[in-house]
Amino acid sequence: MFVEVPAPPRPMDKAIKAARPSLPRAIRRAVPPYLYLAPALILLGIWVYRPLAQTAQLSFYSWNLLPTTPMEPVGLDNYRRMMDSPELGDALWRTVEVILGLLPFSIVIPVVVGLLTRRLGGRSRAVYQALVFSPMLVAPVAGAAVWGWLLDPRGGVVNQATGTSVNWLQESGYAQIAIILITGWHVLGFAVLVVAAALSGINGDYADAAALDGASRGQITRWITLPLLSPTLVFLTLMTVLLSAQWTFPLIDSLTQGGPADSTTNVYYLLWDYGFRSYDAGMGAAAGMLLFVGFGLVAAVLVWLSERLAFHDN
Amino acid sequence: MSEMAVGDRGRLRTVRAHGVLAVLSAICVFPIYWLYATSLRRPGDVYSLSPLPWPLSVQSYTDAARQVDVVHLLFNTLAMAGLIAVGQLLTGLLAAYAFAAWNFPLKRLLYIAFVGTWLVPFQVTMLPNYVLLMQMGLLNTIMGVVVPTLCSALGVLLLRQHLESFPRELLEASAMDGRSSWTTLWTVVVPNMRSALSALAVVLFVNAWNEYFWPAMVMQRSNAVLQLGLRSFMGTEGTDWGPLMAVSGLACLPVFALYLVLQRNIVNAFVRSGLK
Repeated sequence: MFVEVPAPPRPMDKAIKAARPSLPRAIRRAVPPYLYLAPALILLGIWVYRPLAQTAQLSFYSWNLLPTTPMEPVGLDNYRRMMDSPELGDALWRTVEVILGLLPFSIVIPVVVGLLTRRLGGRSRAVYQALVFSPMLVAPVAGAAVWGWLLDPRGGVVNQATGTSVNWLQESGYAQIAIILITGWHVLGFAVLVVAAALSGINGDYADAAALDGASRGQITRWITLPLLSPTLVFLTLMTVLLSAQWTFPLIDSLTQGGPADSTTNVYYLLWDYGFRSYDAGMGAAAGMLLFVGFGLVAAVLVWLSERLAFHDN
Repeated sequence: MSEMAVGDRGRLRTVRAHGVLAVLSAICVFPIYWLYATSLRRPGDVYSLSPLPWPLSVQSYTDAARQVDVVHLLFNTLAMAGLIAVGQLLTGLLAAYAFAAWNFPLKRLLYIAFVGTWLVPFQVTMLPNYVLLMQMGLLNTIMGVVVPTLCSALGVLLLRQHLESFPRELLEASAMDGRSSWTTLWTVVVPNMRSALSALAVVLFVNAWNEYFWPAMVMQRSNAVLQLGLRSFMGTEGTDWGPLMAVSGLACLPVFALYLVLQRNIVNAFVRSGLK
């Protein structure tokens, strides 16, 4: 009963063939986005990824940065020396100290302030925000200069006002604290604004519904507001971890030069030191690679965390 | 609970909020105030604790001007920050346009290449870059500071966000009119994104103005820009605080002036930019 009928030639095939542009036209159509990307990509290639690859390579050589002396391949020697030297471990630990010391400024205080002042509206809020934000605009070296002056052991305001005679920047315990406090002053305003923006973006319906069900303010904060805020908190943590040692660099370079007795030398300053003070390029490169991989892993974990936390409000 | 009590509590909360923010603002602003106050005291009064710098004196400024060529520094810094901001804006705009207006192979990978630059700290790339600048003969020049920083991942990412919310119909209509993508960019996209572009320009300019690490590396032996000129007043025994505060104040002044004029835009742009 079934008669096989040859399928009619499909007109579609022809149309597709006709629509397919000739090769030169296809290229002309494909090229523009790459042309627009080219300037930025070339710059990234030359100034970020090429040097990264070279640093990786350099970490297996011994070299003193002078163009006239040849680079000597030393295998894993730089890494071995790095693991053996107590400097790196100490510097890493000081970096952790800086990060932990800055978390109150980038997370705890902004969240507390944000929660306390959420209801404040309009003009006064804008004025406060402008004031709190202003340290962010102070050039790091100018900030270092002012704080060097405020903390001056002889005539500084801090010692005169509190009646103490601590030599903040030249005593090993205090210098690190001073660096953390000054950096905290720089970044606090920024974190306050980020948290404020996140809080104002939270839908008030959840809190209202919970209040109707008889939840106290504390309960609402703990079980509704903070969880909804968590992606922002992860973001701020990521920033603190990745950037805090960067933020401290101008302060350390202009105020303490890593001292006294290396007590403010964190990893980034150590890298600078290896490169431009000890002229030990191989060692600097090895430490740099270790840092790059380490921070990459931390960032990956935090990004993964933030993606897991981000499902709350949708 | 009576109506009255609720109102009282609300007012108490408002007062507390004002208190918290006032204290915080004071702590944040005091160093900046003290910076300018010290710079305006007479040299003999520098150690004074009186809150108002009275009688006023510009002695510190003239002293500072005698030690460093402040006008020259301001001009150099302005040129550096201006060139960097314009360059970053331009490369960022072109790259963001490519990401927003086309779909093309490797798009995701190339995008990750931009984001990934945040994981590469300056200190990791500084030695090879230093050597390259040396070979190009750009050490100790302003161009040596500018050229390596001409592409900012931040600019690309922010502009991409803006461009993706740009109505596609406008782009398509423009293509229909027979305009090339290049003409479309400058006659349709840019005029419609003026506010986003100017906010980003200010952020990039401020970042470049305040940049320290890169100029410190390229300009090791000179004090060609303000951030480095400041350093020459510090570090030695017996710092002369008056002139140091004067130069610091001058170094911050252009940024504060921009801030006063464009306050809301800048804050928003910085918060959106996330980093820096």
